[in-house]
Amino acid sequence: MNTPHILTTFEESLQILRDDALMMGSLTDRNLANARKGLFDRDEDWCNTVIVDDEEIDDLEVLIDQNGIALMLRFSPMASDLRTVVSTMKLSMNLERIADQAVNIARRGRRLLAKPELPETNELAPTFAMAETMLKDAIRAYADADIELARSLKDRDRKLDALNRDYAERITFRMSQDIENIPIYIDLIFISRFLERIGDQAKNIGEDTIFAVSAEETRHSNRGPTPMEP
Amino acid sequence: MNHESAMSETSPNSLSHSSSATENSAASEENLRSDYIKICNFNFFYGSKQALFDISMDIPEREVTAFIGPSGCGKSTLLRNLNRMNDLIDGVRHEGDVIVNGQSIYDPHIEVISLRKRIGMVFQKSNPFPKSIYENIVYPLRVAGQNKKSVLDETVERSLKGAALWEEAKDRLHDSALGLSGGQMQRLCIARAIANRPEILLMDEPCSALDPIATAKVEELIHSLKKDFTIVIVTHNMQQATRCSQRTAFFYLGKLIEFDITTKVFGNPSQKQTEDYITGRFG
Repeated sequence: MNTPHILTTFEESLQILRDDALMMGSLTDRNLANARKGLFDRDEDWCNTVIVDDEEIDDLEVLIDQNGIALMLRFSPMASDLRTVVSTMKLSMNLERIADQAVNIARRGRRLLAKPELPETNELAPTFAMAETMLKDAIRAYADADIELARSLKDRDRKLDALNRDYAERITFRMSQDIENIPIYIDLIFISRFLERIGDQAKNIGEDTIFAVSAEETRHSNRGPTPMEP
Repeated sequence: MNHESAMSETSPNSLSHSSSATENSAASEENLRSDYIKICNFNFFYGSKQALFDISMDIPEREVTAFIGPSGCGKSTLLRNLNRMNDLIDGVRHEGDVIVNGQSIYDPHIEVISLRKRIGMVFQKSNPFPKSIYENIVYPLRVAGQNKKSVLDETVERSLKGAALWEEAKDRLHDSALGLSGGQMQRLCIARAIANRPEILLMDEPCSALDPIATAKVEELIHSLKKDFTIVIVTHNMQQATRCSQRTAFFYLGKLIEFDITTKVFGNPSQKQTEDYITGRFG
Protein backbone atom coordinates (compact mmCIF):
# COMPACT_ATOMS: atom_id res chain seq x y z
CA MET A 1 0.00 0.00 0.00
CA ASN A 2 1.46 3.33 -1.05
CA THR A 3 1.71 6.22 1.37
CA PRO A 4 -1.04 8.69 0.39
CA HIS A 5 -0.09 12.00 -1.19
CA ILE A 6 0.18 15.04 1.05
CA LEU A 7 -2.08 16.90 -1.40
CA THR A 8 -5.52 15.36 -1.04
CA THR A 9 -6.68 17.05 -4.26
CA PHE A 10 -3.93 15.19 -6.12
CA GLU A 11 -4.93 11.92 -4.47
CA GLU A 12 -8.58 12.53 -5.39
CA SER A 13 -7.77 13.47 -9.01
CA LEU A 14 -5.73 10.29 -9.47
CA GLN A 15 -8.54 8.23 -7.94
CA ILE A 16 -11.15 9.82 -10.21
CA LEU A 17 -8.96 9.10 -13.24
CA ARG A 18 -8.59 5.45 -12.24
CA ASP A 19 -12.30 5.11 -11.38
CA ASP A 20 -13.31 6.49 -14.79
CA ALA A 21 -10.90 4.09 -16.49
CA LEU A 22 -12.36 1.14 -14.58
CA MET A 23 -15.88 2.27 -15.43
CA MET A 24 -14.85 2.46 -19.08
CA GLY A 25 -13.36 -1.03 -18.81
CA SER A 26 -16.56 -2.37 -17.35
CA LEU A 27 -18.71 -0.78 -20.08
CA THR A 28 -16.38 -2.09 -22.81
CA ASP A 29 -16.52 -5.57 -21.31
CA ARG A 30 -20.33 -5.36 -21.26
CA ASN A 31 -20.45 -4.16 -24.86
CA LEU A 32 -18.30 -7.03 -26.06
CA ALA A 33 -20.55 -9.50 -24.19
CA ASN A 34 -23.58 -7.90 -25.85
CA ALA A 35 -21.92 -8.21 -29.26
CA ARG A 36 -21.42 -11.92 -28.54
CA LYS A 37 -25.09 -12.35 -27.67
CA GLY A 38 -26.11 -10.46 -30.81
CA LEU A 39 -23.93 -12.67 -32.99
CA PHE A 40 -24.56 -16.12 -31.55
CA ASP A 41 -28.21 -15.59 -30.52
CA ARG A 42 -28.91 -13.81 -33.83
CA ASP A 43 -30.52 -11.01 -31.85
CA GLU A 44 -30.80 -7.63 -33.53
CA ASP A 45 -31.62 -5.82 -30.28
CA TRP A 46 -28.29 -6.77 -28.70
CA CYS A 47 -26.48 -5.66 -31.87
CA ASN A 48 -28.25 -2.29 -31.76
CA THR A 49 -27.53 -1.89 -28.04
CA VAL A 50 -23.80 -2.31 -28.68
CA ILE A 51 -23.85 0.38 -31.37
CA VAL A 52 -25.80 2.84 -29.19
CA ASP A 53 -23.80 2.19 -25.99
CA ASP A 54 -20.52 2.89 -27.74
CA GLU A 55 -21.20 6.61 -27.42
CA GLU A 56 -20.86 6.47 -23.64
CA ILE A 57 -17.47 4.79 -24.00
CA ASP A 58 -16.33 7.44 -26.50
CA ASP A 59 -17.37 10.15 -24.03
CA LEU A 60 -15.39 8.48 -21.25
CA GLU A 61 -12.30 8.33 -23.45
CA VAL A 62 -12.50 12.11 -23.98
CA LEU A 63 -13.15 12.71 -20.26
CA ILE A 64 -10.16 10.59 -19.21
CA ASP A 65 -7.91 12.44 -21.66
CA GLN A 66 -9.12 15.80 -20.38
CA ASN A 67 -8.73 14.81 -16.74
CA GLY A 68 -5.32 13.26 -17.39
CA ILE A 69 -4.06 16.44 -19.06
CA ALA A 70 -5.55 18.61 -16.31
CA LEU A 71 -3.89 16.42 -13.68
CA MET A 72 -0.51 16.74 -15.39
CA LEU A 73 -0.96 20.50 -15.64
CA ARG A 74 -2.02 20.98 -12.04
CA PHE A 75 0.17 18.50 -10.20
CA SER A 76 3.16 17.72 -12.47
CA PRO A 77 3.17 14.07 -11.42
CA MET A 78 6.51 12.27 -11.16
CA ALA A 79 7.72 8.66 -11.22
CA SER A 80 4.96 6.09 -10.57
CA ASP A 81 2.28 8.82 -10.57
CA LEU A 82 3.34 10.01 -14.03
CA ARG A 83 3.42 6.43 -15.30
CA THR A 84 -0.05 5.83 -13.85
CA VAL A 85 -1.51 8.89 -15.58
CA VAL A 86 0.11 8.07 -18.93
CA SER A 87 -0.83 4.38 -18.79
CA THR A 88 -4.42 5.23 -17.80
CA MET A 89 -4.75 7.53 -20.81
CA LYS A 90 -3.34 4.79 -23.03
CA LEU A 91 -5.67 2.25 -21.41
CA SER A 92 -8.64 4.41 -22.27
CA MET A 93 -7.45 4.68 -25.88
CA ASN A 94 -7.14 0.88 -26.12
CA LEU A 95 -10.55 0.35 -24.49
CA GLU A 96 -12.12 2.74 -26.96
CA ARG A 97 -10.62 0.75 -29.82
CA ILE A 98 -11.87 -2.51 -28.30
CA ALA A 99 -15.34 -0.98 -28.00
CA ASP A 100 -15.10 -0.02 -31.68
CA GLN A 101 -14.29 -3.66 -32.49
CA ALA A 102 -17.42 -4.67 -30.55
CA VAL A 103 -19.41 -2.23 -32.71
CA ASN A 104 -17.84 -3.70 -35.85
CA ILE A 105 -18.83 -7.18 -34.70
CA ALA A 106 -22.37 -6.00 -33.92
CA ARG A 107 -22.70 -4.41 -37.38
CA ARG A 108 -21.49 -7.57 -39.12
CA GLY A 109 -23.71 -9.65 -36.82
CA ARG A 110 -26.73 -7.56 -37.73
CA ARG A 111 -25.95 -7.99 -41.42
CA LEU A 112 -25.73 -11.76 -40.96
CA LEU A 113 -29.32 -11.82 -39.62
CA ALA A 114 -30.64 -11.23 -43.13
CA LYS A 115 -28.72 -14.26 -44.39
CA PRO A 116 -28.96 -17.99 -43.72
CA GLU A 117 -27.37 -19.25 -40.49
CA LEU A 118 -24.20 -21.25 -41.12
CA PRO A 119 -22.55 -23.63 -38.61
CA GLU A 120 -19.26 -21.78 -39.16
CA THR A 121 -20.63 -18.91 -37.04
CA ASN A 122 -20.52 -21.05 -33.92
CA GLU A 123 -16.94 -22.09 -34.73
CA LEU A 124 -16.03 -18.54 -33.70
CA ALA A 125 -17.04 -19.25 -30.09
CA PRO A 126 -13.56 -20.27 -28.80
CA THR A 127 -11.96 -17.18 -30.39
CA PHE A 128 -14.68 -15.00 -28.89
CA ALA A 129 -14.27 -16.56 -25.45
CA MET A 130 -10.52 -16.06 -25.52
CA ALA A 131 -10.81 -12.40 -26.59
CA GLU A 132 -13.36 -11.71 -23.87
CA THR A 133 -11.25 -13.36 -21.17
CA MET A 134 -8.19 -11.44 -22.31
CA LEU A 135 -10.09 -8.16 -22.03
CA LYS A 136 -11.36 -9.01 -18.54
CA ASP A 137 -7.87 -10.00 -17.41
CA ALA A 138 -6.29 -6.87 -18.91
CA ILE A 139 -8.71 -4.70 -16.94
CA ARG A 140 -8.15 -6.76 -13.78
CA ALA A 141 -4.37 -6.57 -14.19
CA TYR A 142 -4.63 -2.77 -14.42
CA ALA A 143 -7.03 -2.51 -11.48
CA ASP A 144 -4.95 -4.76 -9.21
CA ALA A 145 -1.51 -3.71 -10.56
CA ASP A 146 -1.03 -7.44 -11.23
CA ILE A 147 2.13 -7.68 -13.33
CA GLU A 148 2.04 -11.46 -13.70
CA LEU A 149 -1.50 -11.44 -15.05
CA ALA A 150 -0.48 -8.60 -17.40
CA ARG A 151 2.52 -10.61 -18.59
CA SER A 152 0.33 -13.63 -19.39
CA LEU A 153 -1.52 -11.62 -22.04
CA LYS A 154 1.38 -11.69 -24.47
CA ASP A 155 1.37 -15.48 -24.83
CA ARG A 156 -2.38 -15.61 -24.96
CA ASP A 157 -2.37 -13.02 -27.74
CA ARG A 158 -0.18 -15.34 -29.81
CA LYS A 159 -2.68 -18.16 -29.25
CA LEU A 160 -5.52 -15.88 -30.31
CA ASP A 161 -3.55 -14.94 -33.45
CA ALA A 162 -3.20 -18.66 -34.23
CA LEU A 163 -6.93 -19.28 -33.71
CA ASN A 164 -7.73 -16.42 -36.09
CA ARG A 165 -5.26 -17.72 -38.67
CA ASP A 166 -6.65 -21.27 -38.52
CA TYR A 167 -10.21 -20.03 -38.75
CA ALA A 168 -9.45 -17.81 -41.74
CA GLU A 169 -7.74 -20.69 -43.55
CA ARG A 170 -10.65 -23.03 -42.81
CA ILE A 171 -13.27 -20.54 -43.96
CA THR A 172 -11.31 -19.61 -47.08
CA PHE A 173 -11.26 -23.28 -48.03
CA ARG A 174 -15.02 -23.56 -47.50
CA MET A 175 -15.60 -20.46 -49.59
CA SER A 176 -14.11 -22.27 -52.55
CA GLN A 177 -16.67 -25.06 -52.07
CA ASP A 178 -19.70 -22.91 -51.24
CA ILE A 179 -19.55 -19.93 -53.57
CA GLU A 180 -23.14 -18.93 -52.94
CA ASN A 181 -22.41 -18.01 -49.30
CA ILE A 182 -19.18 -16.14 -49.88
CA PRO A 183 -20.58 -12.83 -48.43
CA ILE A 184 -21.38 -14.65 -45.15
CA TYR A 185 -17.91 -16.21 -44.98
CA ILE A 186 -16.33 -12.80 -45.56
CA ASP A 187 -18.31 -11.33 -42.65
CA LEU A 188 -17.19 -14.22 -40.44
CA ILE A 189 -13.53 -13.76 -41.41
CA PHE A 190 -13.86 -10.08 -40.55
CA ILE A 191 -15.40 -10.88 -37.16
CA SER A 192 -12.53 -13.26 -36.40
CA ARG A 193 -10.12 -10.52 -37.38
CA PHE A 194 -11.87 -8.03 -35.04
CA LEU A 195 -11.50 -10.51 -32.17
CA GLU A 196 -7.83 -10.94 -32.98
CA ARG A 197 -7.41 -7.14 -32.79
CA ILE A 198 -9.09 -7.14 -29.38
CA GLY A 199 -6.37 -9.55 -28.24
CA ASP A 200 -3.71 -7.14 -29.51
CA GLN A 201 -5.30 -4.28 -27.60
CA ALA A 202 -5.67 -6.31 -24.41
CA LYS A 203 -1.98 -7.17 -24.70
CA ASN A 204 -1.21 -3.45 -25.10
CA ILE A 205 -3.11 -2.75 -21.88
CA GLY A 206 -1.03 -5.43 -20.18
CA GLU A 207 2.21 -3.85 -21.41
CA ASP A 208 1.12 -0.42 -20.20
CA THR A 209 0.17 -1.89 -16.84
CA ILE A 210 3.61 -3.46 -16.46
CA PHE A 211 5.17 -0.09 -17.29
CA ALA A 212 2.93 1.76 -14.84
CA VAL A 213 3.74 -0.61 -11.99
CA SER A 214 7.41 -1.36 -12.55
CA ALA A 215 8.66 1.03 -15.28
CA GLU A 216 9.65 -2.06 -17.22
CA GLU A 217 9.40 -1.68 -20.99
CA THR A 218 8.00 -4.89 -22.51
CA ARG A 219 6.81 -3.56 -25.85
CA HIS A 220 8.79 -4.90 -28.80
CA SER A 221 10.54 -7.19 -26.35
CA ASN A 222 12.53 -8.92 -29.09
CA ARG A 223 14.55 -5.72 -29.22
CA GLY A 224 17.44 -5.39 -26.76
CA PRO A 225 17.28 -3.02 -23.80
CA THR A 226 17.82 0.65 -24.56
CA PRO A 227 20.50 2.24 -22.37
CA MET A 228 19.35 5.26 -20.39
CA GLU A 229 20.93 8.58 -21.27
CA PRO A 230 21.40 11.58 -18.96
CA MET B 1 23.79 4.74 2.30
CA ASN B 2 27.17 3.78 0.97
CA HIS B 3 28.72 5.03 -2.21
CA GLU B 4 28.08 1.87 -4.23
CA SER B 5 24.39 1.67 -3.46
CA ALA B 6 23.75 5.37 -3.97
CA MET B 7 25.39 5.32 -7.39
CA SER B 8 22.98 2.82 -8.83
CA GLU B 9 23.65 1.27 -12.20
CA THR B 10 21.92 2.66 -15.23
CA SER B 11 18.71 0.76 -15.76
CA PRO B 12 17.82 -0.61 -19.16
CA ASN B 13 14.24 0.42 -18.43
CA SER B 14 14.48 3.88 -19.77
CA LEU B 15 11.81 6.54 -19.53
CA SER B 16 13.69 8.87 -21.78
CA HIS B 17 15.87 7.73 -24.56
CA SER B 18 18.72 9.27 -26.44
CA SER B 19 17.90 12.96 -25.99
CA SER B 20 21.49 13.76 -25.15
CA ALA B 21 23.29 11.04 -27.00
CA THR B 22 25.06 13.65 -29.11
CA GLU B 23 26.23 15.56 -26.05
CA ASN B 24 27.47 12.33 -24.51
CA SER B 25 29.50 11.33 -27.49
CA ALA B 26 30.95 14.85 -27.61
CA ALA B 27 31.81 14.56 -23.92
CA SER B 28 33.58 11.27 -24.35
CA GLU B 29 35.52 12.63 -27.33
CA GLU B 30 36.71 15.49 -25.14
CA ASN B 31 37.78 13.03 -22.44
CA LEU B 32 35.87 14.73 -19.67
CA ARG B 33 36.27 13.40 -16.14
CA SER B 34 33.40 11.44 -14.66
CA ASP B 35 34.72 12.31 -11.19
CA TYR B 36 35.58 15.97 -11.65
CA ILE B 37 34.34 16.55 -8.12
CA LYS B 38 34.91 13.46 -6.00
CA ILE B 39 33.28 13.51 -2.60
CA CYS B 40 34.70 10.77 -0.39
CA ASN B 41 33.06 9.52 2.83
CA PHE B 42 32.28 13.07 3.79
CA ASN B 43 30.88 13.87 7.24
CA PHE B 44 30.18 17.40 8.40
CA PHE B 45 29.39 18.80 11.84
CA TYR B 46 28.02 22.10 13.09
CA GLY B 47 29.48 21.91 16.60
CA SER B 48 28.23 18.64 18.03
CA LYS B 49 25.41 18.30 15.50
CA GLN B 50 26.21 16.14 12.52
CA ALA B 51 24.70 17.57 9.32
CA LEU B 52 26.13 15.22 6.68
CA PHE B 53 26.67 11.48 6.99
CA ASP B 54 29.21 9.55 4.94
CA ILE B 55 28.50 11.22 1.59
CA SER B 56 30.32 9.70 -1.36
CA MET B 57 29.63 10.69 -4.93
CA ASP B 58 31.37 11.54 -8.20
CA ILE B 59 30.17 14.66 -10.02
CA PRO B 60 31.05 14.60 -13.73
CA GLU B 61 32.78 17.39 -15.56
CA ARG B 62 30.72 19.87 -17.60
CA GLU B 63 27.39 18.48 -16.60
CA VAL B 64 24.68 19.96 -14.42
CA THR B 65 24.15 18.03 -11.21
CA ALA B 66 21.09 18.88 -9.11
CA PHE B 67 20.85 18.42 -5.34
CA ILE B 68 17.28 17.96 -4.14
CA GLY B 69 15.67 17.10 -0.84
CA PRO B 70 13.51 18.58 1.91
CA SER B 71 14.64 21.60 3.92
CA GLY B 72 17.37 20.69 6.37
CA CYS B 73 18.48 17.59 4.46
CA GLY B 74 22.02 18.92 4.02
CA LYS B 75 22.06 19.73 0.31
CA SER B 76 23.08 23.40 0.77
CA THR B 77 25.57 22.40 3.47
CA LEU B 78 27.23 20.00 1.05
CA LEU B 79 27.17 22.61 -1.74
CA ARG B 80 28.83 25.18 0.52
CA ASN B 81 31.49 22.65 1.42
CA LEU B 82 32.50 22.30 -2.21
CA ASN B 83 34.27 25.68 -2.13
CA ARG B 84 34.81 25.67 1.64
CA MET B 85 32.30 28.44 2.27
CA ASN B 86 31.40 26.64 5.49
CA ASP B 87 34.91 27.36 6.82
CA LEU B 88 33.56 30.84 7.61
CA ILE B 89 31.23 29.40 10.27
CA ASP B 90 32.56 28.94 13.80
CA GLY B 91 32.66 25.47 15.29
CA VAL B 92 32.33 23.44 12.11
CA ARG B 93 34.43 20.42 11.28
CA HIS B 94 34.50 17.74 8.63
CA GLU B 95 35.74 14.22 8.03
CA GLY B 96 36.48 12.68 4.64
CA ASP B 97 37.57 14.59 1.57
CA VAL B 98 36.45 16.53 -1.48
CA ILE B 99 38.73 16.16 -4.49
CA VAL B 100 38.35 18.58 -7.39
CA ASN B 101 40.03 17.62 -10.64
CA GLY B 102 42.35 15.28 -8.78
CA GLN B 103 43.31 17.63 -5.94
CA SER B 104 41.90 17.73 -2.42
CA ILE B 105 40.30 21.05 -1.57
CA TYR B 106 41.57 20.49 1.98
CA ASP B 107 45.17 20.13 0.83
CA PRO B 108 47.18 22.39 3.19
CA HIS B 109 48.88 23.92 0.14
CA ILE B 110 45.56 25.13 -1.25
CA GLU B 111 44.72 28.77 -0.64
CA VAL B 112 41.04 29.09 0.13
CA ILE B 113 40.76 32.38 -1.75
CA SER B 114 42.18 30.87 -4.92
CA LEU B 115 39.96 27.82 -4.44
CA ARG B 116 36.90 30.07 -4.42
CA LYS B 117 38.14 31.70 -7.64
CA ARG B 118 38.12 28.24 -9.20
CA ILE B 119 34.73 27.42 -7.75
CA GLY B 120 32.27 30.29 -8.12
CA MET B 121 29.00 30.56 -6.30
CA VAL B 122 25.59 32.05 -7.02
CA PHE B 123 23.19 32.48 -4.14
CA GLN B 124 19.43 32.26 -3.70
CA LYS B 125 19.06 36.01 -3.33
CA SER B 126 20.94 38.04 -5.89
CA ASN B 127 23.52 40.17 -4.13
CA PRO B 128 24.95 42.78 -6.49
CA PHE B 129 27.26 45.35 -4.93
CA PRO B 130 25.86 48.90 -4.76
CA LYS B 131 28.04 49.83 -7.71
CA SER B 132 27.63 50.02 -11.46
CA ILE B 133 27.01 46.93 -13.59
CA TYR B 134 30.56 47.30 -14.93
CA GLU B 135 32.14 47.58 -11.49
CA ASN B 136 30.22 44.60 -10.19
CA ILE B 137 31.79 42.39 -12.82
CA VAL B 138 35.33 43.72 -12.64
CA TYR B 139 35.34 43.77 -8.83
CA PRO B 140 37.07 40.39 -8.44
CA LEU B 141 39.68 41.42 -11.01
CA ARG B 142 40.33 44.73 -9.29
CA VAL B 143 40.71 42.92 -5.96
CA ALA B 144 43.30 40.73 -7.67
CA GLY B 145 45.14 43.88 -8.79
CA GLN B 146 44.02 43.94 -12.41
CA ASN B 147 43.24 47.50 -13.53
CA LYS B 148 44.11 47.39 -17.23
CA LYS B 149 41.10 48.86 -19.02
CA SER B 150 41.27 46.62 -22.07
CA VAL B 151 41.31 43.50 -19.85
CA LEU B 152 38.45 44.81 -17.73
CA ASP B 153 36.38 45.77 -20.81
CA GLU B 154 36.95 42.38 -22.38
CA THR B 155 35.96 40.64 -19.14
CA VAL B 156 32.77 42.66 -18.80
CA GLU B 157 31.69 41.92 -22.36
CA ARG B 158 32.61 38.23 -22.15
CA SER B 159 30.94 37.74 -18.78
CA LEU B 160 27.76 39.59 -19.68
CA LYS B 161 27.52 37.68 -22.96
CA GLY B 162 28.16 34.45 -21.06
CA ALA B 163 25.37 35.36 -18.66
CA ALA B 164 23.02 36.34 -21.52
CA LEU B 165 22.83 39.92 -20.21
CA TRP B 166 24.99 41.77 -22.72
CA GLU B 167 22.19 42.91 -25.05
CA GLU B 168 20.14 44.21 -22.13
CA ALA B 169 23.02 45.91 -20.31
CA LYS B 170 25.56 47.03 -22.92
CA ASP B 171 24.13 50.56 -23.12
CA ARG B 172 23.91 51.05 -19.36
CA LEU B 173 27.13 49.50 -18.09
CA HIS B 174 27.82 52.42 -15.80
CA ASP B 175 24.32 52.57 -14.33
CA SER B 176 23.74 51.20 -10.86
CA ALA B 177 23.30 47.45 -10.74
CA LEU B 178 20.53 48.03 -8.23
CA GLY B 179 18.36 49.40 -11.06
CA LEU B 180 18.21 46.01 -12.76
CA SER B 181 15.21 43.69 -12.44
CA GLY B 182 15.43 40.65 -10.13
CA GLY B 183 16.18 38.29 -13.00
CA GLN B 184 18.77 40.65 -14.47
CA MET B 185 20.43 41.02 -11.05
CA GLN B 186 20.70 37.25 -10.73
CA ARG B 187 22.23 36.99 -14.20
CA LEU B 188 24.61 39.82 -13.24
CA CYS B 189 25.68 37.75 -10.24
CA ILE B 190 26.25 34.80 -12.57
CA ALA B 191 28.26 37.11 -14.86
CA ARG B 192 30.32 38.18 -11.84
CA ALA B 193 30.78 34.55 -10.83
CA ILE B 194 32.13 33.60 -14.26
CA ALA B 195 34.29 36.73 -14.70
CA ASN B 196 37.26 34.92 -13.16
CA ARG B 197 36.75 31.92 -15.45
CA PRO B 198 36.06 29.41 -12.67
CA GLU B 199 35.99 25.66 -13.34
CA ILE B 200 32.89 25.03 -11.30
CA LEU B 201 29.73 27.02 -10.63
CA LEU B 202 27.75 26.30 -7.47
CA MET B 203 24.18 27.58 -7.48
CA ASP B 204 22.10 27.63 -4.33
CA GLU B 205 18.44 27.94 -5.38
CA PRO B 206 19.32 30.58 -7.98
CA CYS B 207 15.75 31.00 -9.27
CA SER B 208 13.68 30.75 -6.11
CA ALA B 209 13.04 34.50 -6.03
CA LEU B 210 12.47 34.93 -9.77
CA ASP B 211 9.32 35.02 -11.91
CA PRO B 212 8.82 32.29 -14.56
CA ILE B 213 10.28 34.35 -17.42
CA ALA B 214 13.40 35.29 -15.45
CA THR B 215 13.64 31.67 -14.30
CA ALA B 216 13.49 30.46 -17.90
CA LYS B 217 16.29 32.86 -18.85
CA VAL B 218 18.49 31.63 -15.99
CA GLU B 219 17.71 28.00 -16.87
CA GLU B 220 18.61 28.67 -20.50
CA LEU B 221 21.80 30.26 -19.23
CA ILE B 222 22.60 27.19 -17.12
CA HIS B 223 22.11 25.05 -20.22
CA SER B 224 24.58 27.14 -22.22
CA LEU B 225 27.08 27.49 -19.34
CA LYS B 226 27.49 23.74 -18.98
CA LYS B 227 29.56 23.72 -22.16
CA ASP B 228 32.29 25.46 -20.19
CA PHE B 229 31.59 24.81 -16.52
CA THR B 230 30.75 21.98 -14.19
CA ILE B 231 27.57 23.12 -12.45
CA VAL B 232 26.04 21.97 -9.19
CA ILE B 233 22.62 23.41 -8.42
CA VAL B 234 20.54 23.14 -5.27
CA THR B 235 16.86 23.47 -6.02
CA HIS B 236 13.51 22.86 -4.38
CA ASN B 237 11.87 23.01 -7.78
CA MET B 238 11.81 19.47 -9.08
CA GLN B 239 10.66 20.50 -12.55
CA GLN B 240 13.71 22.76 -12.66
CA ALA B 241 15.97 19.88 -11.67
CA THR B 242 14.33 17.76 -14.39
CA ARG B 243 14.75 20.46 -17.01
CA CYS B 244 18.28 21.62 -16.15
CA SER B 245 20.30 18.72 -14.83
CA GLN B 246 21.78 15.55 -16.25
CA ARG B 247 22.15 13.93 -12.81
CA THR B 248 20.24 14.35 -9.61
CA ALA B 249 21.15 13.56 -6.02
CA PHE B 250 18.42 13.17 -3.42
CA PHE B 251 19.36 13.87 0.21
CA TYR B 252 17.39 13.16 3.35
CA LEU B 253 18.40 13.82 6.95
CA GLY B 254 21.98 14.48 5.92
CA LYS B 255 22.34 11.28 3.91
CA LEU B 256 22.67 10.73 0.19
CA ILE B 257 19.73 8.47 -0.58
CA GLU B 258 20.03 8.24 -4.34
CA PHE B 259 22.27 9.67 -7.06
CA ASP B 260 21.56 8.81 -10.65
CA ILE B 261 20.67 10.09 -14.09
CA THR B 262 17.93 12.71 -13.72
CA THR B 263 15.39 10.95 -15.94
CA LYS B 264 15.91 7.82 -13.84
CA VAL B 265 15.53 9.61 -10.51
CA PHE B 266 12.32 11.38 -11.58
CA GLY B 267 10.98 8.59 -13.77
CA ASN B 268 11.73 5.45 -11.83
CA PRO B 269 13.75 6.05 -8.67
CA SER B 270 15.44 3.08 -7.02
CA GLN B 271 14.72 4.11 -3.44
CA LYS B 272 11.27 4.35 -1.87
CA GLN B 273 12.27 7.50 0.04
CA THR B 274 13.08 9.20 -3.27
CA GLU B 275 9.79 8.05 -4.80
CA ASP B 276 7.83 9.29 -1.78
CA TYR B 277 9.58 12.67 -1.88
CA ILE B 278 9.25 13.39 -5.58
CA THR B 279 5.64 12.20 -5.74
CA GLY B 280 4.65 14.35 -2.77
CA ARG B 281 4.04 11.53 -0.31
CA PHE B 282 6.63 12.66 2.17
CA GLY B 283 6.13 13.67 5.75
